[in-house]
Amino acid sequence: MARPHIEPFVDRDVTFKRMLLPGFGRDMHYKMLSMDGDTGACTMTVQLDGGYSQPPGFSWSEWEIMVVEGELQLDDRTVRKGHYFFVPAGYAMPAIKSEQGAIVLMMYNTGEPSLVEATEHHHLAHTNLYHDVDSYLDITWVPGNIVKPAVASGVMIKLLNYNPISHAMTFIYCMTPAFYQDNISYHDCAEESYHLWGTSWMMQFGDIPTGGYFWRPAYINHGAFASEFGCIALGRVDSKLFNYFHYNPWSTPQENQTRAAARVYQRDPLLYKWMVSHSHNHPHGPEDFEQTQKLRGPEFPDNEPETDGHKHSHWHTHKHHHHSHD
Amino acid sequence: MTFKNLFIDHERSKEEEEWIREELAEQEQRFAKIDRQMSDLAPARAKWYEEFFDRISLRGFNADGDQKVKIKREDLPVKPEGREDRVVWKYGVDGE
Ligand SMILES: [Fe+2]
Repeated sequence: MARPHIEPFVDRDVTFKRMLLPGFGRDMHYKMLSMDGDTGACTMTVQLDGGYSQPPGFSWSEWEIMVVEGELQLDDRTVRKGHYFFVPAGYAMPAIKSEQGAIVLMMYNTGEPSLVEATEHHHLAHTNLYHDVDSYLDITWVPGNIVKPAVASGVMIKLLNYNPISHAMTFIYCMTPAFYQDNISYHDCAEESYHLWGTSWMMQFGDIPTGGYFWRPAYINHGAFASEFGCIALGRVDSKLFNYFHYNPWSTPQENQTRAAARVYQRDPLLYKWMVSHSHNHPHGPEDFEQTQKLRGPEFPDNEPETDGHKHSHWHTHKHHHHSHD
Repeated sequence: MTFKNLFIDHERSKEEEEWIREELAEQEQRFAKIDRQMSDLAPARAKWYEEFFDRISLRGFNADGDQKVKIKREDLPVKPEGREDRVVWKYGVDGE
């Protein structure tokens, strides 16, 4: 089964375990936050002891890291707390060390944690998707109202990763002290959060303190929201985030999902009707012609451009002259 | 769940299979504990629901961003007959 609903969970309440999976250094300890029973995909708080070292290599899974405390050394580069990495499956990372030790959040998205020693990328790796950034210093806060209907003022975000196909996102967010938002929310996507610092409150789950975590499957009610003294957290959604707000604390995930479908019907009736009438023909989703269309390929004849790329022959290039109309 | 991103097919070792099995067993315990704790929170939550209804009727419901709509007392929902207050749903719409 997919990841279960883990909410709330506080990693401070449990002790670290030694990582024994092959490939990783032996000075790695972890706390499991959530795991997908089918794929082994998981999120862990990880402690790297001082002197930790792992060889260069890639994972079979796509993975993400957020440095929570301490520093990492990657070759001759040092990265500090707030540094974020998005690493595609098969992308070979340099050797990673931590001279003084570090706490990091590790998220394996498509499979169990793995590290295959390698200095070259796997030939299937989407290497162009790799990126890393000092999210604390090199990204500015923007208002959290990136989707509509929106969260209340007082939530700020920094977007760390965005998947243009699924609209999955990784971001950090904060709530100002005395933040509150009086509605109940749910989404079509799963939502995950790890509190880097501070406490926030939700009407269903109570306080989530520093080290607090949730993995919440789609359509589960959460909110009203408040944070008395403010908080900063890492958040993720596994597909498009849409805020369905309401004020019925007793609605079930099934009722919430039905309401979401009703909203699609009300908003996009033609699309809804098509999907319902074609629902049995596409077990893996309808065809996306962009993924199946025939491409020119390297052998295509006369594949050189004919113009300099600035030409619009339909535009009038002749001189304007005045003439009288009848 | 899926991030719809690339996964490169590979063989899992016995060690890895065993590790996943153990982690899943512990996750079951973690889930059960949370489920109990959230049941125990029900009395506090009942009060929070009432305070929420007071705030949205007197001060407003956040309909979109900071836009607030006051909900009339007679338009507040009632708990459906026989339904228990429940906030943890193991696999969401996919049931238990
Ligand atoms: Fe949410």
